[in-house]
Amino acid sequence: MRNSIQRGLLGSLPAVALAVAAFALLPSPGAGQAPQKKGGGEKGVGGAFGKFGPYHQPPYAKGAPVGRTPEGKPDMQGYWEARFNAAIFEVQDHAAKRGIAPGKGAIVDPPDGKIPYQPWAAEKAQDLFEHHIFLEPEAHCYMSGVPHQAYTQFGFQIVQTRGYFVMLWEFAHTYRIIPTDGRPHIPASIKLFMGDPVGHWEGDALVVDTTNENGRSWFDMAGNFTSDHIHVVERFTPVDSNNINFEATIEDPTMYTRPWKIAGNFGRNLEPNYEQMESACVEGNRDPERYVEEEGGKSKKAK
Amino acid sequence: MRHRHLGFTLCLLATAAAAQSYRAPRTPDGKPDLQGFWQALNTASFNIEPHSPALGIPGGLGIVADPPDGKIPYKPEAAAQQQQNFRNRAARDPLHKCYSPGVPRMMYLPFPFQIIQTPKFIAITSEYAHTVRNVSLDSKHISDLDFYMGDSRGHWEGETLVVDVTSNNDETWFDAAGNFHSDALHVVERYTRTEPDVLTYEATIEDPKVLTKPFKIAMPLYRHREKNFRLLEYECQAYAEEDQK
Repeated sequence: MRNSIQRGLLGSLPAVALAVAAFALLPSPGAGQAPQKKGGGEKGVGGAFGKFGPYHQPPYAKGAPVGRTPEGKPDMQGYWEARFNAAIFEVQDHAAKRGIAPGKGAIVDPPDGKIPYQPWAAEKAQDLFEHHIFLEPEAHCYMSGVPHQAYTQFGFQIVQTRGYFVMLWEFAHTYRIIPTDGRPHIPASIKLFMGDPVGHWEGDALVVDTTNENGRSWFDMAGNFTSDHIHVVERFTPVDSNNINFEATIEDPTMYTRPWKIAGNFGRNLEPNYEQMESACVEGNRDPERYVEEEGGKSKKAK
Repeated sequence: MRHRHLGFTLCLLATAAAAQSYRAPRTPDGKPDLQGFWQALNTASFNIEPHSPALGIPGGLGIVADPPDGKIPYKPEAAAQQQQNFRNRAARDPLHKCYSPGVPRMMYLPFPFQIIQTPKFIAITSEYAHTVRNVSLDSKHISDLDFYMGDSRGHWEGETLVVDVTSNNDETWFDAAGNFHSDALHVVERYTRTEPDVLTYEATIEDPKVLTKPFKIAMPLYRHREKNFRLLEYECQAYAEEDQK
């Protein structure tokens, strides 16, 4: 049933509404067992839609010591799923609102769990949510940008080879190829949805510096937007063979009063013989047609 | 005179032998290392058959290696369908709707792709619409499903990576000229490093619903050698939506 996924599930308001209902009814498997206390799945959105649903979070399973690649780096290869509380709905701590399940976000700094917006940016985010939700990028099958891509639906695969750390997501077949050879960033005039990632190892942690984003991605489904000045530094720290801690520091002096930080973790998908399937998002996407005028779309509201 | 001629012939033979005896560098598990950035330098994305130049379209010799005339061996009704596709290509070419290109079309688009190789899994990532081919090695095909990019399973035959592609849907084309296939498409690809910066690509294409017999395509893929080269993005869907505004 999860095969040949042909729609942007996240962007579909009916799907989101259904998920909110499911969220209210279902327990959160693995709650409280994640290796990293803050921002890491202690109140995960759990099993909404079940094991293969878009909001699934993997139960915590202790692993073996971290293995090594032939190059002597920590071996994080395999299939992973994200635990970032309810950040998939909104990255900030949030109450329930239209299409959004209530819950904690993934912000660990500032301690209030809110994005330190400049006033104009807070107003714009509010306006996007209330009047322009049609613009939500995933509803259009756009890649989610950095750091949002880390906590998108359906999980991802890590592949490591000499000089590269590669992440392949099932959703919309988005990929990220992170060079670890110490190269410089591309010229600042090049703007990309996923930006330009440059990685290096600090002990067993992979540190990734991302610039060159195009400012067209959001952090979530709640209007928390980005600009093309965003600069993100991520740390992927393997805890054991089944768990990776993640944190990201986000800077953008044009939007925020100070840098801020999110954290979460990834749990290994332990299903035997698991493989990712094709998620052909653009090819089957009917979501944009569903948005009515008051949401910024073109459809007439159903009477 | 005669000796000089002989020398020229020997020189040619030596070159051919060198190309044949080239041995690719190895990955840590001892397999030929196919990693890097590759791109076709031909006009197959316009038309895989031999074709005359036209406005915006360079002429080309095509990449169909068998049959020898370079033409796809269509059944008569399929040949008529291709003509209709060609006439309506602006509306019907799946790439004009930003769809995934399918196999083999991804391999000769005018975009670079990267091969990322591990012992049991190879990813082939194209810059075009962040298309990915997941190639599992020494594993079994799945059945009863269709994909735009098919189901790729690989294995090594000496210096050559052989990839068997099934579960293709009928919504991709071979090129921008309306050359097409059905959901009975079966592609067997062979990737061999024949020179340091050349990856020789060959594929046998079967489709009993559309073809009278299988055909073969072949082309060299060239390595990008620019310093710090990397894949960027071509987010077709996003640009198309901007264009409609």
